Amino acid sequence: MSSTVPPTEAVILEEQGEASVRSSPAVKFALTKIGGALISLAMVILLGFFAFKILPGDPVAKLAREHPMSPEQIAQLRAQLGLDKPLWQQFGDYLVNVFTLNFGESYVYKQSVASLIGDYFWNTILLTGTSAVIAIALGLWLGQKAGWRPGSRFDKVTSGTSLVWWSVPTFWLALILLMVFGGTLHWFPTGGMVSPNSPDDALGKVLDVIWHMVLPVTTMVAVVYAQYVMVMRASVMEEKSADYLVTARAKGLRDDDLRTRHAVPNALLPTVTLVFLHIGGLVAGAVTVETVFSWPGLGKLTYQAIQGPDLPLLQGTFVVFSAIIIFTNLVADFVYRRLDPRVRRG
Amino acid sequence: MRSRHRKHLIRAMSLFAAAALIVAPAAAANAAPTHVHAADPSDSPSSGDDAKTMRIATSGFVDTFNPFVSIYLLPTNLIRYMYENLVQNSDVDGSPTKGLADHWDVTDEGKTWTFTLQDDLEWSDGEPITSADVKYTFDQMMSVPELSVANGNLVTNFDSVDAPDDKTVVINLKEAQAPNPAIEIPIVPEHIWSEISNPAEYANDADVVGSGPFLLESYKANQFITLKANPTFWDGAPKIDKIQYVYYTNSDAQVQALRSGDVDFVSGLTPTQYDALKDAEGITVHSGIGRRYSSFSFNSGLKTVDGRPFGTGNPALQDVEVRQAIRLGTDSDTLLEKVLGGLGDPGTSFIPASYPQWTLPTDDAVVKEFAYDPEKAKAKLDAAGWTVGEDGIRVKDGQKLSIRLTIDASDPTELAISQYFQPWMKEIGIDVQVVSTDSDTISAAAVSGDYDIYLSGWSIGPDPDYQLGINTCAALPTETDGTGATNQDGWCNAEFDKMYQEQRTETDPAKREAIVHDMLVLNYTDTAQITYWYASGLEAYRSDRFTDFRMMPADGGIIANQSGYWGFKDVAPVGAEGDGAAASEGPNVGLIVTGVIIAVIVIGGVIYFVVRRRKSADVE
Amino acid sequence: MSGPIETTVRSPRSMAWARRRHAFGAFCREFSRSRSGMVGLGFLVVIVVLALLAPVIAPAWMLDLTKLLDQPRFAPPSLDHPLGTDDQGRELWVRMIWGARVSLLVGFAATAVSMIIGTVVGIAAGHFTGWTGGLLMRIIDFFLVLPSLILAIVLSVVLSRGVWTIVIAIGLTSWAGTARVVRAQTLSVESRDYIERARVLGAGHWHIIVKHLLPAVLPLVLANTTLTVGSAIIAESTLSFLGLGDATLQSWGSVLKNSMDVSAATAGYWWYVLVPGIAIVLVVLAFTLVGRAVETIVNPTLRSR
Repeated sequence: MSSTVPPTEAVILEEQGEASVRSSPAVKFALTKIGGALISLAMVILLGFFAFKILPGDPVAKLAREHPMSPEQIAQLRAQLGLDKPLWQQFGDYLVNVFTLNFGESYVYKQSVASLIGDYFWNTILLTGTSAVIAIALGLWLGQKAGWRPGSRFDKVTSGTSLVWWSVPTFWLALILLMVFGGTLHWFPTGGMVSPNSPDDALGKVLDVIWHMVLPVTTMVAVVYAQYVMVMRASVMEEKSADYLVTARAKGLRDDDLRTRHAVPNALLPTVTLVFLHIGGLVAGAVTVETVFSWPGLGKLTYQAIQGPDLPLLQGTFVVFSAIIIFTNLVADFVYRRLDPRVRRG
Repeated sequence: MRSRHRKHLIRAMSLFAAAALIVAPAAAANAAPTHVHAADPSDSPSSGDDAKTMRIATSGFVDTFNPFVSIYLLPTNLIRYMYENLVQNSDVDGSPTKGLADHWDVTDEGKTWTFTLQDDLEWSDGEPITSADVKYTFDQMMSVPELSVANGNLVTNFDSVDAPDDKTVVINLKEAQAPNPAIEIPIVPEHIWSEISNPAEYANDADVVGSGPFLLESYKANQFITLKANPTFWDGAPKIDKIQYVYYTNSDAQVQALRSGDVDFVSGLTPTQYDALKDAEGITVHSGIGRRYSSFSFNSGLKTVDGRPFGTGNPALQDVEVRQAIRLGTDSDTLLEKVLGGLGDPGTSFIPASYPQWTLPTDDAVVKEFAYDPEKAKAKLDAAGWTVGEDGIRVKDGQKLSIRLTIDASDPTELAISQYFQPWMKEIGIDVQVVSTDSDTISAAAVSGDYDIYLSGWSIGPDPDYQLGINTCAALPTETDGTGATNQDGWCNAEFDKMYQEQRTETDPAKREAIVHDMLVLNYTDTAQITYWYASGLEAYRSDRFTDFRMMPADGGIIANQSGYWGFKDVAPVGAEGDGAAASEGPNVGLIVTGVIIAVIVIGGVIYFVVRRRKSADVE
Repeated sequence: MSGPIETTVRSPRSMAWARRRHAFGAFCREFSRSRSGMVGLGFLVVIVVLALLAPVIAPAWMLDLTKLLDQPRFAPPSLDHPLGTDDQGRELWVRMIWGARVSLLVGFAATAVSMIIGTVVGIAAGHFTGWTGGLLMRIIDFFLVLPSLILAIVLSVVLSRGVWTIVIAIGLTSWAGTARVVRAQTLSVESRDYIERARVLGAGHWHIIVKHLLPAVLPLVLANTTLTVGSAIIAESTLSFLGLGDATLQSWGSVLKNSMDVSAATAGYWWYVLVPGIAIVLVVLAFTLVGRAVETIVNPTLRSR
């Protein structure tokens, strides 16, 4: 997967090349970037429609096998699902619907896909957001410490362990954690986001959710933090040989301060965009993690859409996941522009 | 520098103190036993005395709780608990028994059915249940197409329904029939439903007014379904207060939840899970006779109702000798033993063993005639003109005997079956290509005839009439794309059709059973399908918390997913005041752990910053 | 020290090949100095050999269920059953060896698809300026933005299930990362003098791409390839776990899915869950180590670390 390969030097170099784009005047920059994001979103929506129309299959026939139905009942059901219209009409309906944020009705849940996604959206954001923050913080911290003294024991241990974690399939780690900590030790719940008899006070509810979050967040962080370690490490190593650091060292600055006050802030710049780039991998990891831990989010919806197969729902989650990442990358562009003073000239 | 330093330190310390003040009491509060919250008389589904709420793990989809429209398994099951039918299915053998109707008379040789309701029936809101409710329900299904989605096929033979007085309902049929017309249709309260502007779209998912033992109280899609006991149920109020369905995505999580006491009942276990739970403390496992058959369904030459062939089925399967040879070459007993762990009954025909009066018995002559015998299979194929080629696969007129077996990629049982079937067929000289795909594609292929064999199965209701009906020639599709009708295997036999009409009007039960037996023998010999097992329903429950589950059939049947409400109707909690102590132990440890983690992070962060400040020297 | 200096005149082609052989030898020597790289490579060689020898070590009948009727089910690891048996009595080590074939094949094939598309598009995006280059850049960015797993799921659901669907799904969703790297490298090579010179001398697009850009880019692609194989194997196991793979084939992902289906984790049949997972981790780790070693050699700026 593009976003799960540990980044190479060349990508960092390329990031520095991108700086020229960012040094255009603010309004032009904003319009270019937002325009680009909208185009990407439009392409995603198109892709979403046509990809699914290739699929053969008749969800109505499957339903009829489970439940005795007369031909009239079947025809009625098919008309309800809008499956009897010609393709171009279905596409027209789809476009109109997308503009009104109507993704159709889920075959399986018999609820509007938009409302289903609305219900589950924030749960996924909570999970992936928390995991992202922790993974980034942890990864960056470990990476800059490791990159400062490459070849040291700390570096070797950090790089080694993060490489091992990166090689672990997310769903497998989730299974193991569920098995050991949820099943055998009973330290954490075996699934869901809230207990069926959750406490009534606000803080109690919050703690209940946090308790349910521990295992899924741990899984997601473990598998993903390695990327950030590697990125930061490479960036700091690159920065280490800079002239201004030689000067500062000659002036007698402590090594730690050199690292934290000078090298790291400058090393952070190219890291920022790469960090946001890999958010995609994190978000996609939500699918397997939410499935294993029964977390009521978009990932679990996607899994159940696969089981159906429930095409409107799969279409909807595909578009929403892509939109999240497009948005995050847009934010990354703006953040980078803000962070890098060299860029804000024009 | 020093004073600024101290200011930071003080600020950090106060932050930490504040955090500790918040975290500690919260952790302590939640460490207390859960009946602190029982004092809170809120209506939220989460409160209520633990001991009398039975929690069931589920992952079933809900389309709607509207009894006119719902067709999914989970909601239709719950609707059985919410609404009493006019005539209920007995838990002994599924035959018609008292429901809303106390007794009934059949006149005109089965064309007129007169039902007399019980006395003093009440809806859960106190209104009396009368014949007006019954007439309203049937009339809606007969006249409004959108309301016939769920059970419309059951009223196609209804001519009119009369309610001469409050306690009498008369159903006039177009043609005489032997099966009781009033089974399986839930009766809704007219005073509620006639007020709804668009009944077909009414979700019916909160505070339902019904007549069954439990009523739907609230529903949160994909998270919880809560039912509460109905004190006005005619057979007595249930002994527990609530039933709560809790959603889990996968069955492993459900089993974990059962072990840790988060739920009290789990169904749909795999044989492995079942075996693993056998020795668990406080948990009882139960294997019940199921009402579902599983079969290899053949494409024995699909045609439309007016005789036009369609589909891409292998013509070799149109020869009954080849189909019989395949049956002779399939060891269904080994499949039952190895794939299902013996947790089921051997299959014969498409009516399961849970209906003993209708099923084809395993010691029947025709079953013995076609028992597993690969040598016999080979002889049959030789006699049919299929000679063994060099690679072991039979050839006839230049065509290899190669057939496709289509299985559902997401079903591990079907995969395992294919892994036995393929070598068995190879042994008798048939090449089997396994096509593994998703269930939608299979359904589409089954309809359009693009298969040779696929694995099929139906859940069968207490009266076999519907299932027999979809095996007749009249039930064949009307178009060459396979649409226009529902058909079980695409098989057609004129003699079978004749016998179908006979059993439909035969009012003598013994004679009707004999006709049905002959029909099943005919279907078996003609090998429209090979039924390999009737899987048992594997369930487990916390017997240390609840007891008195009833099975259907009463002798060794299943508890959940019955064609009736017997399973949970009489469930009672174990012991006087089930403390739920085991259940509350989990939250304590976890919440304390979480509180500790937060505290550690906060303290660690504060200390780190404080120490750093102290170390800072001249920066520039 | 190489042999006696040759004085005969040689054709440009044979000189080029001699240079390449020399470079390759230097590469191998350099590689052998990296301990982690050698460990990774050694492990991979062992796995590949085992996979190739599968029909010999573990003949096909050992997977035929009808021949295994007397085997114990769920037997824990012991001398009789080195890695234990599964729910139908098959030896787990047999399934793992046959699974290595499919997992590795899918990994390599998907990576090949990804690499080819990525290299072609990346070079084109870097070499062609103006409208074409901009458009290609947009396309690369678009594919980078798409969540790869979700897109792979969509493709697997839409196309008919099977091994090649997975290969295509993974290949089509992971080429963008390579393309990006290749484009960056192409841009930096393009600005070098000898390219300028070649253009002045009248070299066309094809010549520049094949004779200059491609060789300059290939070492980087090689490094990227080994890293991508690892993530392709993880992707395959994830897609199988979600039920989108070909269930009739043995692959490590489908063995894990089987273990899920029969609730091995709940029932305590730990070998069924641990063994395939650990195998995946080790193989992916090996590829990553090799890839990083190659990367260090190929990219001199990383070398001094």
